[in-house]
Amino acid sequence: MDKSEIRVGGLGGQGVILCGMIIGKAASIYDGKHATLIQSFGPEARGSACSAQVSVADEPIGYPYVKNPDVLIVMSPDAYTQFAPQLRPGGVLLYENELIAVDDKLPAGVKAFGIPATRLAEELGRRLVLNIVMTGFFAGVTGLVSFEAAENAVKSSVPRGTEDLNLRAFRKGYEYGRELLAKAS
Amino acid sequence: MKLEGFPQNLTLKDGTQVVVKPLEAKDAPALLEFYRALPEEDRLYLRDDVTKPEWLERFVAHVQHNEVVSLIALHGNKVAGEASLYRALHGWTAHVGEIRISVAPALRRSGLGSVLARDLVKLAIGLGVEKMIVQMVESQLSARRLFEKLGFRQEAVLRAHVKDIHGIKRDLVIASNDVSHLWEAMEALVSDFSPTVG
Repeated sequence: MDKSEIRVGGLGGQGVILCGMIIGKAASIYDGKHATLIQSFGPEARGSACSAQVSVADEPIGYPYVKNPDVLIVMSPDAYTQFAPQLRPGGVLLYENELIAVDDKLPAGVKAFGIPATRLAEELGRRLVLNIVMTGFFAGVTGLVSFEAAENAVKSSVPRGTEDLNLRAFRKGYEYGRELLAKAS
Repeated sequence: MKLEGFPQNLTLKDGTQVVVKPLEAKDAPALLEFYRALPEEDRLYLRDDVTKPEWLERFVAHVQHNEVVSLIALHGNKVAGEASLYRALHGWTAHVGEIRISVAPALRRSGLGSVLARDLVKLAIGLGVEKMIVQMVESQLSARRLFEKLGFRQEAVLRAHVKDIHGIKRDLVIASNDVSHLWEAMEALVSDFSPTVG
């Protein structure tokens, strides 16, 4: 079975869980695959560590937990420190490059792609949509969910009236990812 | 700043075809012509002397610096209406946007004002504006009804604040539309906190 495991890590208030949920929704509802989501929160309402584990596969998923993700999305230094060593060798690291400094302790063969998601979100009008920028970045770099599916998942997951800004945030992240990928190849 | 969803080709209630699009520098002469053709009484309601090339130059610069978002409606190659969203990009009112709309007399009651206002409100929300305001003279009843339909409510009245062309003092109505609840909902959505799980 072809299964991809993704972990999203960051701080409460960064929209970590929503990012994971949109990826799962894009894969399952709009791309017709199977997906599972496990979420974990800290005890505080804001600022505590939280993460989401998403599995995407062509067939039903029997075991939803992610131990060694193929893709790691991190939005805070703590999440990077905690989860980067668990990345599968040869996996993909997507990180907020104005909050996180990548060191040389990554597992062998990991490809790291950084994006100033917080700044891009602020430039779009709201820091709040940094997770949607990261979601677009994920779709653009990995291609694990299609552009259309991810866009539909964003649209159907955000509050009514905020779709425009969220979709612009998604596209910004997606295009940034595609450009980085083109430069890297 | 690139605004998505434009240009829009529209047929108004009276069958007039217009194209709504963001203002570009090349549209500046047509915009000046539009404002110069407005009746003097209408121009009196505007904050600036829009017949002067200096104003136009400043306005286009504000648009280019994203301090103003401006939509124009083109009828043929003439500007038939203009709608602007003024934003303070920093400071204590950075969350507020002010809307100003002007429509050519021939196209009033055609629905063009509604189209421009609706587009601008939508754009403002997309830009993260939390509260929109619009200033109208008490006698501008159709404008007041239009903004009421878009969720604006009278917030303040400045008594005898403006003078019309006949020298009569009139009340200035400030209406607002607080859309911050949309962003509160988004904030709740990204809170990453579950009271039952945490």
